[in-house]
Amino acid sequence: MDELIFIQQDVLPSLMRGLKISLLLIIPSGVCGLAIGVLVGALRVYGNRWVKAVTNVYVVIFRGFPLVVQLFIWYFGLPHIGIYLSPYVAAVVGFALCSGAYHSEYVRGAFHSIKRGQRLAAQAIGFTTFGMITHIIFPQAFRRALPGCGNELIYLIKYSSLAYMITCIELTGEGKVIASETFKYTEIFFIVGFIYLMLTSVASFFLRRLENSLRLPGFDHYGL
Amino acid sequence: MTEYLIAIRDALPYLLQGALVTIALVLGALLLGLILGVFLAVGQVYGNKAVRAVVGLYVWFFRGVPLLVLLFLFYFGLFTLLGINISAFTAAVIILGLISAAYQSQIFRAGILSLPEGQFKAARALGMSDARAVLFVILPQALRLSIPGWSNEYSIVLKDSAVAYALGVAEVMARAHFVASRTYQHLPLYFTAGVIFLILTYLGTKSLRLLEEKVRIPGYSR
Amino acid sequence: MDRVNDVLRVENLAKKYGQKEVLKDASLSVKHGEIKVLIGPSGAGKSTLLQCINVLVTPDHGRIWLEGREILHTKKKELHEYRQKVGMIFQDFNLFDHLTALGNVEIGLVRVKKMNKQEARERAVAELDRVGLKDHIAKYPAQLSGGQKQRVSIARALAMDPRVMLLDEPTSALDPELISEVLAVIRALGEEGMTMIIATHQIGFASDLASEIIFMEDGVIVEAGPPAKILSQAECARTREFCAKLTSLY
Repeated sequence: MDELIFIQQDVLPSLMRGLKISLLLIIPSGVCGLAIGVLVGALRVYGNRWVKAVTNVYVVIFRGFPLVVQLFIWYFGLPHIGIYLSPYVAAVVGFALCSGAYHSEYVRGAFHSIKRGQRLAAQAIGFTTFGMITHIIFPQAFRRALPGCGNELIYLIKYSSLAYMITCIELTGEGKVIASETFKYTEIFFIVGFIYLMLTSVASFFLRRLENSLRLPGFDHYGL
Repeated sequence: MTEYLIAIRDALPYLLQGALVTIALVLGALLLGLILGVFLAVGQVYGNKAVRAVVGLYVWFFRGVPLLVLLFLFYFGLFTLLGINISAFTAAVIILGLISAAYQSQIFRAGILSLPEGQFKAARALGMSDARAVLFVILPQALRLSIPGWSNEYSIVLKDSAVAYALGVAEVMARAHFVASRTYQHLPLYFTAGVIFLILTYLGTKSLRLLEEKVRIPGYSR
Repeated sequence: MDRVNDVLRVENLAKKYGQKEVLKDASLSVKHGEIKVLIGPSGAGKSTLLQCINVLVTPDHGRIWLEGREILHTKKKELHEYRQKVGMIFQDFNLFDHLTALGNVEIGLVRVKKMNKQEARERAVAELDRVGLKDHIAKYPAQLSGGQKQRVSIARALAMDPRVMLLDEPTSALDPELISEVLAVIRALGEEGMTMIIATHQIGFASDLASEIIFMEDGVIVEAGPPAKILSQAECARTREFCAKLTSLY
């Protein structure tokens, strides 16, 4: 009984505080990361030589460096050149730029998978380039990129826990603080783990719902 | 700029020793993930309802909970609770391996499912037991098909291994931080650490592509 | 040549891909209501010629006039307007996969011609009815047969009110039993007076419908003339050779 009271009065409020910070990390990072990914992905397919070179370098670095390394560079490394970011801002910047690189891979793949003929037919009717991308290419590419980008967002939910390592105290951080005081690592982190599990499960559920509602007959076959 | 390069040059041997630890971590985790992953995949495809449920639960758990949380949960929590006394390195290998097994099981499952039904039927027709059919007919093909997906998994586990730093494992990231907090050369050192990971990624995926070529069956297409 | 009555006129079109000269020096013109058929072996440059005519592929040099107005080297906006007036039918149909048959025909009306949705819908249904697909308007491309897909693509092109239609081997990708339904639609268009340039292997159909048959090989127009002449009494040996093989096949 004591256990339960302890959990209710001491642990949960702190964890909820941490959860709030986690959500404040996940949502902006997710939105920005997705936006960056769509932009970079489009540039990698439709940009000129220089644009492609620059964006490819961006993707190689931000997919190649571990996320931890990237976070450390933003938080500990930038002060060297006079930029001081708070743990929260450094975390959001790190998450957005890192997941942006992953998103751009899916977006690029999606744009590539659109058959050349779709573009030709659009031009033949007299679509401007902008109209073609907006009304013909994008609706199809979006559906193709959705599983990949959706999964990336779910990864983000889990990787947000790394913010703890640059002293941004979110859900995992709060758990660590309480656990190191009380030595009840197992109980605390089972609860923390369970909360993340709920977050990722709910997100997966909605992603699948979205994928199903956007399904088009015959559209799942790449390049057919 | 020069002081950056000096800092990197001085720290490089120490960091590269960390790279060896990283490689050991990754190989250990991938191996554990491979063996367990194959079992899980076979169980999920060919097992009865109970087996499938258990595997499903395992995969759901180890794919849904963040790595860092699992590291804390197991190393500081469960292992201590159960009186299991193992090094941080071993613990990290085990946990990374358990997580990788969850992901690898899905890669292998997809590989197995992509094989035509006839393969299993023909094996049975020859009189093979189910276990032999799986071992000698299904897996050799499914595993080859899984190599590209596996290459991706290698890249992910490699990057995740940096989180082992949180348990105090002396891999590349930990060493970079150690040197940086003494010399205050954070920027160049972490950048170098990142480059080391890039190189390790490249070497690994290149080797896997060579492996794919080596085990390729002539004329095989799915 | 009577320039004033030409609906479409192209002169000296040429296109190189890398080192290969796919189209060397092609000139042709069509008057209102004329149907010209391009024949020739694969790689002769028929597709490239058609795609140069509506500038899906930019020719290296040459000139194009539509109803007396010069195209090429004009502003982008005029190019887009030009393309609306030239309908194109592809061998691979190229229907928009994310839209139903109705959606495919409507989208040009709504998004390019900026019609209001109600009018666009009525027009689209009418065009689909014209090609015999009134009962299939809600189907997606993946649910249609090859012949139906090609007919939708014809409806889509017709909805834009083209002055001339370019058809690039419209039946080459179809199963034999589906070819006739598409040919019937094209024949009906011809009888209604649509100006067309058709690249095809369907020689029997071509000789029925064409005002002129144009034989191409290696990027050049070898010979052009009325069907009766080209098919049996061609002036060039190569033309005779090709036509002999063609007529024995079809």
